[in-house]
Amino acid sequence: MRFAAYLGLRFLFLIPQVVLISFITFVLVRMLPGNPARMSLGPLAPESAVEALREEWLLDRPIFVQYGAWLEKAFSGDLGESWVNNTQVIDDLIHRIPVTIEIITLALILVFLVLAPLAIVTASRTRNRIVRFFQNITFGYGMLAGALPDFLLGLVLIFVFFTHAGILPGPEGRLGILEFEPSFVTGSIIIDSLIAGNFETFWSGIWHLIMPVFTLAFVYGAPIFKMLRSQMEGALKADFTTYAEAIGLAPRIVFLRAARVASGPTIVITGVVVMFLLGGAVLVETVFNLAGLGQYAVQAIVTADYAPIQGFVCFAAIFTMLVYLAVDLVHFAMDPRIKAVGTSR
Amino acid sequence: MWLRIKRTLKDLPKWQLVVLFIFVVILFLTIFGPYLAPFPTEIADPSARLLPPSGKHWLGTDENGMDIFSRILAAPRTDVVIAVIATAISVFLGSPLGVLVALYESRRGAASTAFAEIFMRLLEVMQSFPVFVLAMVLVAIFGGSVTNIIIAIAFVNTPVFVRLVRSEVLSLVQRPFSEAARAVGNSELRLGFRHILPNATPTVVVQVSVTVGFAILLTAGLSFVGAGVGPPTPELGAMIASGAKYLIIEQWWPALFPGLALGTVVFSFGIFGEILNKVMEPRAVGGNIDRRREITLEKGQDTAAQETAEPVVAPAALFTRSSEPILRVEGISVGARELGDIKLLRDISFSLESGESMAIVGESGSGKSVLVKSVLQLLPYPLTVTEGRIRYGDKDLLGMEKRRIRTLRSTEIAAILPNAKSQLNPLVRVGDMMTSAVRAHQAATRKEALSRALELFETVGIIDPEKRLEAFPHELSGGMAQRVCIALALMHHPKLIIADEPTSGLDVTIQRQVLDLTRRLADDTGTALLVITGDLGIAAHYCDKVAVMQAGRIVEVNETSALFSAPQHPYTKHLLACVRV
Repeated sequence: MRFAAYLGLRFLFLIPQVVLISFITFVLVRMLPGNPARMSLGPLAPESAVEALREEWLLDRPIFVQYGAWLEKAFSGDLGESWVNNTQVIDDLIHRIPVTIEIITLALILVFLVLAPLAIVTASRTRNRIVRFFQNITFGYGMLAGALPDFLLGLVLIFVFFTHAGILPGPEGRLGILEFEPSFVTGSIIIDSLIAGNFETFWSGIWHLIMPVFTLAFVYGAPIFKMLRSQMEGALKADFTTYAEAIGLAPRIVFLRAARVASGPTIVITGVVVMFLLGGAVLVETVFNLAGLGQYAVQAIVTADYAPIQGFVCFAAIFTMLVYLAVDLVHFAMDPRIKAVGTSR
Repeated sequence: MWLRIKRTLKDLPKWQLVVLFIFVVILFLTIFGPYLAPFPTEIADPSARLLPPSGKHWLGTDENGMDIFSRILAAPRTDVVIAVIATAISVFLGSPLGVLVALYESRRGAASTAFAEIFMRLLEVMQSFPVFVLAMVLVAIFGGSVTNIIIAIAFVNTPVFVRLVRSEVLSLVQRPFSEAARAVGNSELRLGFRHILPNATPTVVVQVSVTVGFAILLTAGLSFVGAGVGPPTPELGAMIASGAKYLIIEQWWPALFPGLALGTVVFSFGIFGEILNKVMEPRAVGGNIDRRREITLEKGQDTAAQETAEPVVAPAALFTRSSEPILRVEGISVGARELGDIKLLRDISFSLESGESMAIVGESGSGKSVLVKSVLQLLPYPLTVTEGRIRYGDKDLLGMEKRRIRTLRSTEIAAILPNAKSQLNPLVRVGDMMTSAVRAHQAATRKEALSRALELFETVGIIDPEKRLEAFPHELSGGMAQRVCIALALMHHPKLIIADEPTSGLDVTIQRQVLDLTRRLADDTGTALLVITGDLGIAAHYCDKVAVMQAGRIVEVNETSALFSAPQHPYTKHLLACVRV
C-alpha cells in the first residue's frame, strides 16, 4: 500500500518532467546555428524551395506551435530525419541505443562483481594480511580512478593491449572488419549472436567489449566503491552492529545486516553514476569506434544535425529520469524510514 | 587559521606534500607557462612532424611539428583558467540562489513552500540531462570559443552549488545562532547572507576544488570529441585527440605526454581538495580515541586531590556470601598500543554473585562503558585489556576463543546497551531481530521462534505484541524499544545481565517501569544484575552494592546502604554531595 502510493506519486511527477525535458531540448536545439531547411536541401537548392520547406516545417511559426507539431509526431514514433545521413532518427536510435545500454550495463555488472566485494572486504575490521593487501590495492585505485580521464585510459589500454601486446582487438568497432553482425533482435551483439547460435561472433563480440567496458567500470566505479566502503565502515562501527554481536547473533547475520544498511546510499549513488556513465559512453564510444548513441550524438553535434541531437538528448534525459525513478523505488522499498511524501533525494 | 594550516601541513603524509608542491607548480604554470615554453606553441613546423623525444624536443613533436613540451607548459593556461573561471561563476550564481531557496523553504506559508518545491523540481529536470551531453550541446549552440565553453561548464555546474548551499543553509538555519541573529532583529536576507552563508563556506570551498578538477576533465573531454577548444590553441584534451590516431602505429608520445599531464593536473586538484578539507574540518583528522584521552586527562586534573586518596574497598562488599562468584574481574587495565602509557581503565577489580545486583556509578567519561565493553569482549579496535583477568564462573573470558564467546552471549551473559533505539538495526523488523536471536542459540523453526518472541513481548509488557513484531525500530517509542531489548536480554535465561545506562533518554515514569520490570524479572530467575548508571538514585533503589568509578578506577565499593550512609572516599562524598543539594 505504502509502496503503491509512492509509485503513483512518482509517476505523476514523471509526466510533467518528461514534457518539460523535451520542451527544453526542443528550444535548445532550435537555437543551434544555421538554417535547417537550407542545410537539408544543400547549398545548391533554389531559395524558393528552401522557403517552401521552411513553411512545411513550421519554422516561421512561434516556438510553441513548432513544439506542438513535434510532440504530435513524436507520439506517433516520428522523431524526424537526419539531413546528414538521410535516415529516420527513430531507426538510428533503435540500432544505437542497445550498444550504449550494453556497455553501461556490463560496466555496472563488472563494478558490482569486482569492486563491491572489494569495498566490503576492505571495510571489514579484521586486519589480517589478505585484507591489508586488498586495502593497499584499493587505496591506489581510489587515488587513481578519480583523476584518470576515461578517454585517456581507453587510449592507454589500446596502446598496451593492442599495439604492443596484440592480445585484444583494436578500436575497430563491435566486431572485426570482416565479420558480419547477427540479425537484429535485441541489438546487443552478444545476445543476438547467442540467439542465432553463432558462438564465434559471440566470443568476438565479448572480445571487442573488454576494453571499453573495463574503461567505464574502472573510471566510473570509483564513486560507488568509495560510497559502499565508507558506508560499510560506518555500519560495522554502528551501535546496532555491536549490539547484534553482544546478543550473540551469528557473524554471518551480523555482517549481512550491516551490509543491508550500507547498500541504501550506495544504490542512490549508483543512479547518479549511471547518468555519468552515459556521458562517459560518449567518449569511450568515440575512442573505440563503437557505433553507439554517444558517437551518434558527437557526429550530430559536430555537423549541427537537428533531429538526431533532439532525439538523443531527449532519450538521455528520459533515461536518467527513469534510472533515478528506479533507484528511488529500490531505495524506498529497502528503507522503511523514507516517507512517501516529498520526493527530494 | 594559520596555525591550523601549519598543523595540517605537519601531519600530512610525505606523498601528499609532494602532490601539494606539484599543485603549486601547476598554478605557477597557469600564470607563466606560455612565457617559459622554449618553442613557439601555436606555429606549425612541417619539417619537424612527429619527431620522437630527443635532446632538442624533450617530449617529441606532434603531427604539426609543434614541440609537445612547450605546448604542455602552455596548456594549463587554457584548461585551468577555463575550469577556474567556470567554477567561480557557478559558485557566485549558485550560492546566493541556494540561500534564497533555503530561506523560502524554511519560511512558513503555502506560497513560499510551493515556490521552493517547484524550483527544486526544475533543478532536478536540469540535472537529469547528462552533464557531458548538455555541455556538448551548449557549446554546439554557441560555438566553440573559450568564453562559450566557460559559460557551458558554469551552467552545468551551477545546480551543484545551489543544492549544496541550500542543504547547508537548511540545517544551519535551525541552529541557535540563527535564532539569536533573528531575535536581535536581523532581516531574513541579512540573516541568510551575513550570518549563515559564512558558516557554509568550508563545505563550499571543498566542493570548489572538486568541481575545478571535474571542470578540467570536462574541458578536456569536450575538446577531445571536437566540441571544445580547437587547434592550434594548446589544450590538453585536443592534444590527446590529435595524438590518438598515432598511438596505434607506435607513435605514442603525442597522446601519452599530454595525457599524463592531464592526469597529474586533475589528481593534484583532487588531493588539494582533501588537504583543504583537513584544514577546514579539523574534526576529520582526529579519531575518537584522542578525544577520549583528552577528556580523561582533563577529568584527572580536575580532581587530582581526590585521586591521590587510596581506593576504599570494603572487603565484606567484595565477597559477601560464601558461594563462588559468577563474575570476577581481577585487576584489569584497558589501553592501546597507540595510546602508550595512557590507560582508560586501571586496575579494576570486583565480583558479583548469582542473584546479586550491583551498580557502577560515576560521571561520564569515568570509563563505565569501557568496563562494560571489556567484560562483554566488545572493545572497539584498537583498545584491548592489557592486564588482569575476567572470570565467568570457572572460565577465563579473556583467553576464550571467539566462537565460544558467542555461545555464551545471551545464553549466559546478556547485555542491555544504552539508547535502545540506536541498538536496533533500522532496516530489520523487530520480529526478525527476535527470531534471529532465538535461533542464534537454539534450534527452532521460524514459527516456534515467533511464538517465543510473542511470549517474551507479553512478559515485558509490550501492548499489542503481534503488531509490534511487524514494526521497524523507528516506529517504536524509546520505552518500547527498551522493552524489546529487555525481552532480548531475558530470552535465553541468562545468569548475568549487564545493563549499561538502561534508561538513559527515557522519561522518569517510563524509567521506573523499565527498571522495576528488569529487577523483577531478574529476581524471578535468580539472575545477577550489573547496572551501569550515572544516576545515584537508580543505584540506591535497585542494587545491593555499589562501585564508584572515577577516571578509570574504582575508588570505592560497598553495600548500598553502607556506601550511602557512610561514604569513605573523598570522591564518593563529593558525588553524594552533588545529589543532596
